[in-house]
Amino acid sequence: MNKVMIKATGPFERIVHWCLAISCLILCASGMVMMYHSLQGFGTLVGGMAAVKTIHNYSGVFFAVSLFLALLVWWKEAGMFSSPEDWQWFKVAGGYLWKVDQMPEIGKYNPGQKLFFLTIVIFGTGMVVSGFFMWFPLGYEPGLIRFMYVLHALGFVIIFAFFWVHLYLVTLGAPGSASAMFTGWVSKGWARTQHPKWLREMEEKGTLVVYGKKGQSGRHC
Amino acid sequence: MKQELIKLIDLSRCTACRGCQVACKQWNELPASETHNFGSYQNPPDLEWNTWTLIRFQEYVDAQGRLQWLFRKDGCMHCTDAGCVKVCPTQALFHTEFGTVALNTDKCIGCKLCIFACPFNVPRFDEETKKISKCDLCQSRLQAGQPPACVLSCPTGALQIGAKDAMLAAAHRRVRELGGDASVYGEQFVEGTHVVYVLPEKAEVFEKLPAKPEIPTSIMVWKDILKPAGLLAAGTVVAGAFLHYITHGPKNPEEEINQEGGTQI
Ligand code: SF4
Ligand code: SF4
Ligand code: SF4
Repeated sequence: MNKVMIKATGPFERIVHWCLAISCLILCASGMVMMYHSLQGFGTLVGGMAAVKTIHNYSGVFFAVSLFLALLVWWKEAGMFSSPEDWQWFKVAGGYLWKVDQMPEIGKYNPGQKLFFLTIVIFGTGMVVSGFFMWFPLGYEPGLIRFMYVLHALGFVIIFAFFWVHLYLVTLGAPGSASAMFTGWVSKGWARTQHPKWLREMEEKGTLVVYGKKGQSGRHC
Repeated sequence: MKQELIKLIDLSRCTACRGCQVACKQWNELPASETHNFGSYQNPPDLEWNTWTLIRFQEYVDAQGRLQWLFRKDGCMHCTDAGCVKVCPTQALFHTEFGTVALNTDKCIGCKLCIFACPFNVPRFDEETKKISKCDLCQSRLQAGQPPACVLSCPTGALQIGAKDAMLAAAHRRVRELGGDASVYGEQFVEGTHVVYVLPEKAEVFEKLPAKPEIPTSIMVWKDILKPAGLLAAGTVVAGAFLHYITHGPKNPEEEINQEGGTQI
């Protein structure tokens, strides 16, 4: 029983995704070790708290670059909401919370994903800016620096919570999604269920790439 | 806690000889800095990584038009509710058995958070070691049953160290003696400081002395609200996801089986 696999993402997209994801995870972990005293023991694993701080700071730079690339990659597709289907999607909570008979037609990114993306962009930028001031705080108004601390902590609360939503949905919540960011291929059935408009548009435009189909590249690229 | 100690600074007795300033440098092996004359006997101009205590000189014209020369020994106040201890990620700053706030330099990672959490603007950053430094109320001397170096050096009796109750009683006694605008400064803030002033004038008169010191609100929002909220929000999401999974279940795709030449990956 073979599923029909179609191409969802390109290699650059996936690399950017994982750069962002890995830097974000390192930042969350190292940040938490510095925020919660009970986690300090993990600091010794990397050679002490000073090393944790160094790792956190430079991962922040890596994150900033990844975030910028992510903006270039996804802004067009995920940065803007489209009317009216996105609002309808929100009204039925994406079909995740109760039974919905008529799901609005969803393109390549559903409004939940767009919201996630925008959250990462907005609060991620906030984290980069506030993180910069926290790294080099001397010589500024104390009030400004203290505001940056609050912004940094708030950004963490939001991003960390969203991270778990994201993790749940791409693993247990919506099976078949994760391969889009690993191999780049998803099943056609998955696309029809999750992003019917995107699938239809590709079929109409003739840009749909089916794995192993004659005349088309079947390699993982 | 062994015994809460208080260092009492009676400014009405201070003659600005700066013996304490020098004794502190000597005991703690802090080098001098090269400074320049900026029109005041105050030297250096501010607290530094190598100047943990400093006599501030201030010219003040009171309500009767009399010119006064005010002196204030500035330095760490050793707060009970200490902003610096609250934010320090490595617990390098900590409360000692005397209620004072000492610093374990080995643990300091130079994050500078304490600088912005201190209501008295005390911690200073040493660019060379990349660490914080501040008065530790001569922890090693206290542990050996000795008075702090600055207290020992003071020739006028402006500095004393002793049990909390005794020092506070002495402070209030002295304020009653002085009368006028004199007041006790310290016990009423940040759950009580372990350095207490007898101020000969209203607190507002003294430069760089906050009239109502408290841990900045933003620091409280950060440490008392957002810090627990981080775990709470994530925990709620994880619990919610689990509930969703067992009640609603995953959103499974309706798979299409191979009729178009596709193969499984
Ligand atoms: S005065 Fe500042 S440095 Fe000293 S204990 Fe209080 S908060 Fe900490
Ligand atoms: S700079 Fe050092 S003492 Fe100050 S909060 Fe950071 S680790 Fe603690
Ligand atoms: S208590 Fe010790 S460290 Fe603090 S100002 Fe006095 S001499 Fe310096």
